[in-house]
Amino acid sequence: MALPLRYNIRNVLVRWRSTITTILGIALVVSVYVLMQAMAAGIEKSSANTGSPDNLLIIRRGSTAESSSIVSREQLRTLLYSPEIARTAADEPLVSADVLVLLNLPRRDGGGEANVLLRGVSPRGRDLRAQVVLVEGRWFDRGKREVVVSQRLAARFAGFGLNEEFRSGPATYRVVGHTDAGKSAFDSEVWMDADEARALFDREQYSSLLVRPKDAEAATNLIARLEKDKRLQLVAHVESAYYAKQTGTATPIKWLGNFLAIAMSVGAVFAAMNTMYAAVGARTREIGTLRVLGFRRRTVVLSFLLEGALLAGLGGALGCALSLFMNGYAVGTLNFATFSETVFEFRITPALMLQGLLFSIVVGILGTLLPALRASRLPVIAALKSL
Amino acid sequence: MTLSGFVIRNAFRNKRRALLSTLSVAASLFLLVTLQTFLRELTVPPEDVGASLRIAVRNKVSLGMPLPARQRPLIEKIPGIAAVTPFTYFGGRFRDEEFTRFAQFAVDPQVFTNVFVDAYCPPEQLAEWFKDRNSCIVGQDTLKRYGIKVGDKMRLTGTFYPVDLDLKIAGAYSGTPDDRSVFFHHKNLDEMLGGGQTVGTWWVRAASAEVAPQVISTLNATFANTAAEVRAETESAFQLGFVSMWGNVRLLIGSISSVVVFTLLLVAVSTMSMAIRERFRELAILKALGYRRRELFGFILAESFGLAMVGALLGAGGAYALFSSIDIQKLSGGMFVFFEVTPRLVAMAFTVAAALGIVAAIPPAIAVARTSVVDGLKTLD
Repeated sequence: MALPLRYNIRNVLVRWRSTITTILGIALVVSVYVLMQAMAAGIEKSSANTGSPDNLLIIRRGSTAESSSIVSREQLRTLLYSPEIARTAADEPLVSADVLVLLNLPRRDGGGEANVLLRGVSPRGRDLRAQVVLVEGRWFDRGKREVVVSQRLAARFAGFGLNEEFRSGPATYRVVGHTDAGKSAFDSEVWMDADEARALFDREQYSSLLVRPKDAEAATNLIARLEKDKRLQLVAHVESAYYAKQTGTATPIKWLGNFLAIAMSVGAVFAAMNTMYAAVGARTREIGTLRVLGFRRRTVVLSFLLEGALLAGLGGALGCALSLFMNGYAVGTLNFATFSETVFEFRITPALMLQGLLFSIVVGILGTLLPALRASRLPVIAALKSL
Repeated sequence: MTLSGFVIRNAFRNKRRALLSTLSVAASLFLLVTLQTFLRELTVPPEDVGASLRIAVRNKVSLGMPLPARQRPLIEKIPGIAAVTPFTYFGGRFRDEEFTRFAQFAVDPQVFTNVFVDAYCPPEQLAEWFKDRNSCIVGQDTLKRYGIKVGDKMRLTGTFYPVDLDLKIAGAYSGTPDDRSVFFHHKNLDEMLGGGQTVGTWWVRAASAEVAPQVISTLNATFANTAAEVRAETESAFQLGFVSMWGNVRLLIGSISSVVVFTLLLVAVSTMSMAIRERFRELAILKALGYRRRELFGFILAESFGLAMVGALLGAGGAYALFSSIDIQKLSGGMFVFFEVTPRLVAMAFTVAAALGIVAAIPPAIAVARTSVVDGLKTLD
């Protein structure tokens, strides 16, 4: 017969002081674990969220990223009127020739400077990226040194507020609108007109082309044609697939998160063991009584394991609850692929919380196993005699 | 029995608990030291000998924008400048690596050695490098890592530039804090690109530390209001510029460190309270024998402090031993280079442990002080 769960709950409550410290300790470990994984999830989400499967991103063969790619005007001319590319109602090809420029700008809080990615987009570029919407102000006018910035970046850099100005090199730029790109990588970008950006930053060439093929078949054809064309030296990627691969920044964070989880849980297991050994020690007589009443060894072990799991599970739940406060909190760090600031959110998913909870229960059971075995092995008579 | 003997016996009379408490303190301090080392790796650029005299000049817009090559004669004319070399990041990939973790720079070899004085390369190898425009010098660590040697060829696939380089390794250098980079002739790159109008950055050596600030302001002023404004700064300022790019990561690691310390405190206080609660009766007897509260607090403090210190020795000492014996560069795939546990970090860990030992002794000591002898004697376990 199993011991009633109520027995364990009451035991946990009776030792409320050590219960609270154990629960709090495990809660902190779990919340650190969940938060680190939530950060990695946020980065991955922002990559996975970016771009459309209907678009093709064309970059120079050999470039590892869009930011290091070069596409000449000649290459643009060759491709612009390709039969595979869809047209607008006014019969214009749906092609955006973009130019990417890194800007080194001061942070709003005065904490030094960081790189921001400026994207010069062609007039069709906005139509091709429907996920970027204007939330405040207006779109930039060409030739007036106007830009729109993502509202997430606006909070992080000086002069990014609506109708504010910032300086880069010899020129001053005015922010005329704030955009929201639905938590995608475009949330870490500043946009202006492509040809204006090329003139201002002295760029003869574009960085990349974004095109909308007529249909899936045209897309396959265009990819294959560029693959064969040794003269053009360009590669086409499905836009969403290209961004989905850009998760390099998440790797070190995951690595750090796992390391932290392991090191902290080792400490937590030792601490839980300590608490449970003390609990076993204090209840020696009680355990003896239970055994005399006919409860079996394995029932006693199970009961203690349950108690440990309960204690740790409470801690885990508290930890998850604590980490929830950070859900959606936007943070920024260096993106290795673009060498610029990338903004993303802590994303605490139900799966992550479940992981955290399981993790805490494992810690609890590991910490309780040895004390529980010890409790079950106490000789009955000696246990009864002990004070 | 001496007093210290009494304390030591008490600390270890429940050997399992003493061991577990020490280990949990050790695990947490190990973590703390590792985190702080990680943070240091991100934020503290290595210092080398010539750094105070070296000045980096980049485009004011950002490092991603090139500078016109025609700036060179203007820079050379600035008084107080000992040497100036172009310094262009090539960003090539070596072999079939997804991401190559050593950098390659195009420089002017003749001047390069005057700017980067701490890089040592045997004179005959340098002479060879000067002579052969298609050759390069490579940091010793990179040679070792890939098992290549002087005289071999290396092919670098351009990711930033649409050209590939075939370079002969003319020499190996060492003596800088990070001997990994490859340096080759800027003229080689210029020829490949069919231009020669732009460079990535200029690196300048000031004649003396006194003139360096003047040189920096002259550099900035010379190109103000031109199409390519520059930002000149000392090497350490340049390196620190990368630090702020890490953004919230620094704060995050800082917060995790404090969470670790706080958790540690919880554990230590609870363990110490447990240890003392078991001994309430004994402490009451000591009280009855005439020991003062102060002395009882001394016993508890000595025990708690001692256990925390042993934990620090294991945790911080373990971190030091581990990170100085393993090849972190190889293990992390080149992400970390030094991962040095400095004496300062070890001292910090011991300070945390000391504070911990003291704070953890306070709650049980208060409990003991408050309890009267009679109540204390009455307590069962």
